[in-house]
Amino acid sequence: MAAEFTEKIVEVGGQKVHMLTGGSGDPLVLFHGAGGNTGWLRYVQALADHYTVYVPSHPGYHQSERPEWLETIADMASFYTWFLEEQGLEGARAIGFSMGGWIASEVAATCRHAFSKLMLVGAVGIKPEQGEIADIFIISPAQVNDLIFHDPKQAPEYDQIYGQPPTPEQAEIAEGNREMAVRLCWKPYMYDPRLPGLLGRVNIPARVVWGREDRLVPLECGELYQQALPQSDLVVIDECGHSPQVEKPDEFVRIALEFLA
Amino acid sequence: MTDVFYFTEMPFAEFPESEAEKYPSMRLTFPNTYFDPGKAHDLFKRYLDEYQHAEEMGFDGLMINEHHNTPSCMDVEVNISGGILARITSRAKILMLGNMLPTSDNPVRLAEEIAMLDVISGGRILSGFVRGIGIESWANNTNPIHNRERFEECHDLIIKAWTTPGPFRWEGKHYQYRAVNPWMLPVQQPHPPVWVPGTGSPETVEWAARNHYTYAAFLTPLDVAKNLFQRYREYAAEDGWEPGPEKFAYMVCSHVNETEEKAQEAGKAFLWRMNYPLRGPREYWSPPGYASRAGAAATAARRPTPLNELSYQELQERYHLVVGNPDSVTRQLRHIRDELGVGTLLLEAQGGQLSHEDTMRSIELFGKEVIPALKD
Repeated sequence: MAAEFTEKIVEVGGQKVHMLTGGSGDPLVLFHGAGGNTGWLRYVQALADHYTVYVPSHPGYHQSERPEWLETIADMASFYTWFLEEQGLEGARAIGFSMGGWIASEVAATCRHAFSKLMLVGAVGIKPEQGEIADIFIISPAQVNDLIFHDPKQAPEYDQIYGQPPTPEQAEIAEGNREMAVRLCWKPYMYDPRLPGLLGRVNIPARVVWGREDRLVPLECGELYQQALPQSDLVVIDECGHSPQVEKPDEFVRIALEFLA
Repeated sequence: MTDVFYFTEMPFAEFPESEAEKYPSMRLTFPNTYFDPGKAHDLFKRYLDEYQHAEEMGFDGLMINEHHNTPSCMDVEVNISGGILARITSRAKILMLGNMLPTSDNPVRLAEEIAMLDVISGGRILSGFVRGIGIESWANNTNPIHNRERFEECHDLIIKAWTTPGPFRWEGKHYQYRAVNPWMLPVQQPHPPVWVPGTGSPETVEWAARNHYTYAAFLTPLDVAKNLFQRYREYAAEDGWEPGPEKFAYMVCSHVNETEEKAQEAGKAFLWRMNYPLRGPREYWSPPGYASRAGAAATAARRPTPLNELSYQELQERYHLVVGNPDSVTRQLRHIRDELGVGTLLLEAQGGQLSHEDTMRSIELFGKEVIPALKD
């Protein structure tokens, strides 16, 4: 089905939030990663064939305003409980990617009726016991992109996403996104020591999805998420890096739809 | 009258510099297995002797600085080296340029330390406040997004601690205290003069001007320094005052020797500090959020050739490095002074692998021939 979505600005607590929406059916909210909102890609459209999909840009990202008080992921989670209330989206299904998985986890642990199902994909937020989460701030954006993929050739939209050098406007937005990620995740880097404990409160079905060859966030973090979330399973995708939704979109969508149904 | 200050970064250049090729930079992540505390002991003794010699030979001030995770600067705490200079010298000003404010979690302790140095030295402290280069945000793990906010709040608290009778309470964004009431207060009133270094950030020039602080341009091309000083003067004019030369300083590497030939040969030692220590990935120097958009734009528009891409000849032509016999060095330093209207020249007169002998001879020639000629 052809990509069909609208781009709009909504207000939450007096702050403008930039959001993409499309599709039909029950609501499904996607939480993007530290790099920013990657837009209406093939996997989003495939999900929109079954659900009404909402892809907000986090406060401080893209055209979304950052309230002065919002400095941490926990602040972000508080903001999103407000967002879900005001947009009438409480009880929606949710998928969080990477840093968005951390945000969605904090929301679920803070508010039991925020979501009905929670899926996490290559999520940061829990400190690995053995390995380390790669430091994406100390290397260049191009080096980060290299680390995201196990094999870029199997990502059907790779050229569409990375093929062109960014326009000055896109570069400006990317820089602003990177600064917002630094604000949120500098220290402790990409985790919150409270999170594993808080996740015990999550009383909804959860699925943790990981690329086995994830070089940014070790698979071990997926195992820790699965152990911390009471009603969860872990699905590992072979021969796949940090972003299965881009690198193996068809397999990813199959795994997602099976869980969300 | 021009004041001339002596400066060395106290480098540890005791390994083949080509080792740096194996790593992204000679800073931050260059392994500290190359460090040798025994050699460092000897070097500290040597560098401190040179500072003493500089005072004896007539330098008006002694400048010290601080960096982390780098062989290019062994001084990791200006308040330690400042404490030593306060006791082993008796006349020269001690310019600490400076304390890194954003990476400090305890501004009141900084206020106490600097005040104690001012007391021990008998009021000779010039208190430099710096943001720290981007690498310091990594080394100290302080969020670069808050760098300027913390710089300003830390500064405000230090000045208040020095000038407002305690106890008082401080409830800021980044710092909170129940009872600010440091027993130790500075000799100089209302407080030690504040100096700020800059390499181009437009916010820093404005901030220095609004506060009437001395602004020191570091290794910037002359035209860039001129432009920065001009902006300072414009901000001052807006506020209805006119800065004298004492509000401006310029830092340059310099070596003087008996003959031009000897100077040119020995001066090559400075290429060490212009090369690997200035290389490294953009993210090391400017982590995301460290520079404002205005600052980043100003840097991009200026686009000076990086110092490590300039030849020995070009470094001299652009006045990053002033080398020669006493007449030639005097002539060049006068040119810089007159061109910029600075009251103080900060001479990095020991750099890289410049030997103790060459450094001592250079200090002596500066004292006997160059400095008197700059007092005209």
